Amino acid sequence: MLSSQILNGIRSLRAMVVHPPDSDARELVNQLRRIGCRTETLWPVPDVLPPHVDLLFLEITETVPDVVVRMLEEVGELRPTLIGLAGYESPSVLQSVLDLKVEAVITKPMRPYGVLTSMLMARRIWEERRSLDKKIAKLHDKVRNSQTVSRAKFILMNIHRISEEEAYRRIRSQAMAKRTTTAEIAQAIINADGILGNIGGSQPPHGEGRVDDLEKVQRPTLYVK
Amino acid sequence: MSKTQKSGQPWRVGVLYSQTGVTAVIERSQLNGTLLAISEINARGGVAGREIVPVIYDPQSQPKLYGRLAERLLVEDRVNVLFGCYMSSSRKEVLPVVERRNGLFFYSTLYEGFEYSANVIYGGAAPNQNSVPLASYLMETYGNRFYFVGSDYIYPRESNRVMRHIVRQGRGEVVEERYLPLDADDEAFERVVSDIRRKSPDVIFSTVVGDGTVKFYRAYRRMMGEDSIRVPIGSLTTNEAEAARMGAEAAEGHITAAPYFETLETPPSCAFRDHYYAHFGEDASPVTSCCEAAYFQTHMFAEALARVGGMDTELLRDDLLNAEFNAPQGLVKVDPDNHHTYLHTRIATLDSNGRFRIEREVPQAIKPDPYLVYPALNDWTIRLRGANPIRSIG
Repeated sequence: MLSSQILNGIRSLRAMVVHPPDSDARELVNQLRRIGCRTETLWPVPDVLPPHVDLLFLEITETVPDVVVRMLEEVGELRPTLIGLAGYESPSVLQSVLDLKVEAVITKPMRPYGVLTSMLMARRIWEERRSLDKKIAKLHDKVRNSQTVSRAKFILMNIHRISEEEAYRRIRSQAMAKRTTTAEIAQAIINADGILGNIGGSQPPHGEGRVDDLEKVQRPTLYVK
Repeated sequence: MSKTQKSGQPWRVGVLYSQTGVTAVIERSQLNGTLLAISEINARGGVAGREIVPVIYDPQSQPKLYGRLAERLLVEDRVNVLFGCYMSSSRKEVLPVVERRNGLFFYSTLYEGFEYSANVIYGGAAPNQNSVPLASYLMETYGNRFYFVGSDYIYPRESNRVMRHIVRQGRGEVVEERYLPLDADDEAFERVVSDIRRKSPDVIFSTVVGDGTVKFYRAYRRMMGEDSIRVPIGSLTTNEAEAARMGAEAAEGHITAAPYFETLETPPSCAFRDHYYAHFGEDASPVTSCCEAAYFQTHMFAEALARVGGMDTELLRDDLLNAEFNAPQGLVKVDPDNHHTYLHTRIATLDSNGRFRIEREVPQAIKPDPYLVYPALNDWTIRLRGANPIRSIG
């Protein structure tokens, strides 16, 4: 997300303040409304966070209460952007800041200045983190698929005595014919090979559809020769 | 910081407007606005039988001095109510002082927004109140190729950021954006005007403030001739005092958007203008919208003081939130959400006598929205109408 979009979109964010109802919470809520965010408050800490919260402001104390941990576990991967509200900079409070993995911290007593900056910083970090997570998941899939395909290629190379290029070509044309991915076809080949191996009793199983490391993938060549 | 001034003793307030330096012209008009209101209040017998007495210092248009003098007013002079400041840089010096010492600070100048302090009452326009009306008028009347010229500090940059966004919404373009130091000389402005001639925009948007305004408008007229009327300069800050200094010829044809113009012919405006010149003389620095804001803010303070009966910062502030006042510009009100003020917006053109002819106005005061990142061009709440309601325009 572009940084200008973060600034532009700040008013469309829904903010939730989970903090004891005191003057700090009041000051924060007023400032969030001035900034123009839809703002609600909740106290005590709820078991389940309402849906569609974009920004969660959380009181941070010297320990992280179980109810907070449960509430955050409940939202899982849809975790909103977290901004901690801390009254102390003592090591135990700072440890809670780290444990909660907040994107930003606002120190108390609350002042209106700095709230908007913290929101932007937190949002940027959160957006970046989310896009990196997506990228990592994509790369992870890619690596796994390529391992599966390599393994299937070796199986085909051994069975049909063909080159690596030819093995890959056959996997790919099967995938195209069946309108699926090369990884799916590769997995089917590995599964079939495993079952046939088991029935024949002459080959060790390659693992039921699970992907192991590359060393294992390459092993079939050893005993077929 | 509760000021329990003894009965009979005057109410003392601090006033920090520069009487020397680059922004003296406009700040002297703000000082006059404050002093006029104080003299009117005292002429009626003061507040609760006690006069208001201003303690005035001259910060010489130097931001650091505003901070130091604010400190002196609050600590040594033991006042807790302050009126003052024009540039944002000076306001930012005063802010921490009034917050630390819990003073109440009346700021009567338009600025870039994105600020809130419990210790400030803002009486000038936020960008949502004046930028959109000015941009829509300029685009409708002159075209949508803009050239931006500004002084080099925060207000012009923020103001231009807002304007750029509005211009783009109107499918216009910003052909150039130039910033000059506050003390830029004639030659610097001539270079800008040469560049303007080269790029031939439809209209100029100027956020040049202080003495530079006079230099810029004069250089523009000198080099553009009659073209300066065809391709005018639009501004949110150029006011009566500066128009008087630059002379009618340099001023002619240019446009300003502001909550108030001296030429507004309503009973409260006429009364204000008459009092002003009766008090300061016909040769006094002209009335400006910042002067008007300083004036109505001082009156609003006095009314709050009368209701509260003391100088306690909290009590005065609480009383002022939601307070209304029939100002020269019309009815204004302090917004309790953000301490800014509901203000009117008018568009005026400088005529051949160097006087503002009001062309358009919004029908009612606009709610301040100091945290609006991008004002929308098509905001229906700030539609302009003809200034004379009889020949109302669309």
